[in-house]
Amino acid sequence: MIVMRLITVVACVFAALPLAWLVYAAFIPAEALIAANIATFGVTLANFAALGDTGLWRAMGVSVLASGLAVTGQLAFGLGAAYAIRNGARLLGLVLLLMAIPSELLLVPLYRQLQTLSLIDTLGALIVPFLASPLVVFLLLQALRRVPWELIEAARLDGAGEGVIVARVVAPVLRPELVAAAVLAFAAHWNLVLYPRVMTTESLWTVQVFLTDLLRTRPFEWGLLGAAALVASAPILVLYVVFEKRIIATFEAGFRS
Amino acid sequence: MSERRQASLLALPAMAVFVLFSVVPLLSVARYATWRWSGTSEPVGVGAANLMRLLRDDALWQSLGTTVTFALIAMPTFLALSLVIALAIEGLRVERFVKALLFAPGLVTVGGSAIAWYLLYNPDFGVLVELTGWRLPWTTQPAAALAYVIAFTLWQQTGYGVLMVSAALKGVPREVKEAARIDGAHEREVRRFIVVPLLRPTLAFLTIVGTVLALQSYTAVYLLTRGGPFGSTRVLGYYVYETAFENFELGYGAALTLFALLVTLVVAVLQARVLVERSKRGARA
Repeated sequence: MIVMRLITVVACVFAALPLAWLVYAAFIPAEALIAANIATFGVTLANFAALGDTGLWRAMGVSVLASGLAVTGQLAFGLGAAYAIRNGARLLGLVLLLMAIPSELLLVPLYRQLQTLSLIDTLGALIVPFLASPLVVFLLLQALRRVPWELIEAARLDGAGEGVIVARVVAPVLRPELVAAAVLAFAAHWNLVLYPRVMTTESLWTVQVFLTDLLRTRPFEWGLLGAAALVASAPILVLYVVFEKRIIATFEAGFRS
Repeated sequence: MSERRQASLLALPAMAVFVLFSVVPLLSVARYATWRWSGTSEPVGVGAANLMRLLRDDALWQSLGTTVTFALIAMPTFLALSLVIALAIEGLRVERFVKALLFAPGLVTVGGSAIAWYLLYNPDFGVLVELTGWRLPWTTQPAAALAYVIAFTLWQQTGYGVLMVSAALKGVPREVKEAARIDGAHEREVRRFIVVPLLRPTLAFLTIVGTVLALQSYTAVYLLTRGGPFGSTRVLGYYVYETAFENFELGYGAALTLFALLVTLVVAVLQARVLVERSKRGARA
């Protein structure tokens, strides 16, 4: 037990160090770094102000728009697909197959496909291919299996069409799972690195491409790098903190079945 | 129109996306693999030349070896750490705090994580070398570079593993543990013979997660080492990317994609088989 606790302590230190340093670097004055005097006290927001000239905010805009629209599509289309499968459409095999293939492994053929569809270097390249996600379909299907079917039968007896049932009956019941899936899907899209790097050029850079480029062009400006990293993480952090309980509950529920 | 058919229509938008951006690309890889093509040039058919090149491409076999080494080190470590830490903190007052702390790296966006590690561990002007003089050799020594990428991946993912195991631990019935203790079992024996066997499904699940992580390690490689030094961290996925989009040989990149897909398929089949075996054995016991 002592060894196990020791490992835990080491793991905690190891986990905390990069995070602590990121936050520290983001808030210390640049002079303290130039003087190599990192024990200097004092907090500054200058690093965040300096981000204004770097193009980070533009990249944030692109990322928020692209990830937001992609996730909206994934939820709407995913719910429809999950409902169809629950009603007997034989598509589960395809969904599972696609889940097993990491999307960025298909960069080469996707590049050709986007060329054919004239999507290379457009905002659409960041959104359209991500309007549906096999993982989201799968998560929603798992959730749908727990919904009592009488609810849907009752709506049918009232004469509601299938589309109306999904929008008015199923979606509200699955709200917790939709929220959890949305947060996970948002983080996944937000964290794409190679895909946006390959399919777009500078005017459409997402935050990830921007961050890797900033690290390349201004490697000595610790404060600026730290501040940029924090700002770029903010959306995921906020979503997670707000919905933490939902996400963990959904995870564990999906996991039990 | 029957309700079932009406419901099926609701799958159409998602299926259209899947077909256009997954199925068609998947089915076309083999055709693109017969091209010489820079991405912007007009593709030229070269027959089986790219496929023949696969066979005598030393970099490819090195890359496959790197990927396997990565998986064989990263996955058992990931499983062991998740299990050990979850067991060590169970029921302690710090349990929630430790779990939150270990999960936190997963919430920093990947590009930001790369920056955090760079600031800390860069051997030329990172904080570690400034403060302690300890120069990590990951930019020059192949083995250290691979260890560095693995450590980064574990740093990102271990919190998730701990959460999963911890959730499963909560599901182990207290009576079972109590009964073993009354029978005179030592705390260590309770863990070894009661708790860990009951966690088997969770660990099997985490094995799959771990494999997927190993196959997807190309993002970490791109962010940290770009495959170097001397190609020592060039995992399969990264080699595909590098060939196609750094060296602009998309035709050969397609051939490499075919190979990578084949590897993914083999791994998936092996895993499915292991899982089925296990659940059979579990059912018999």
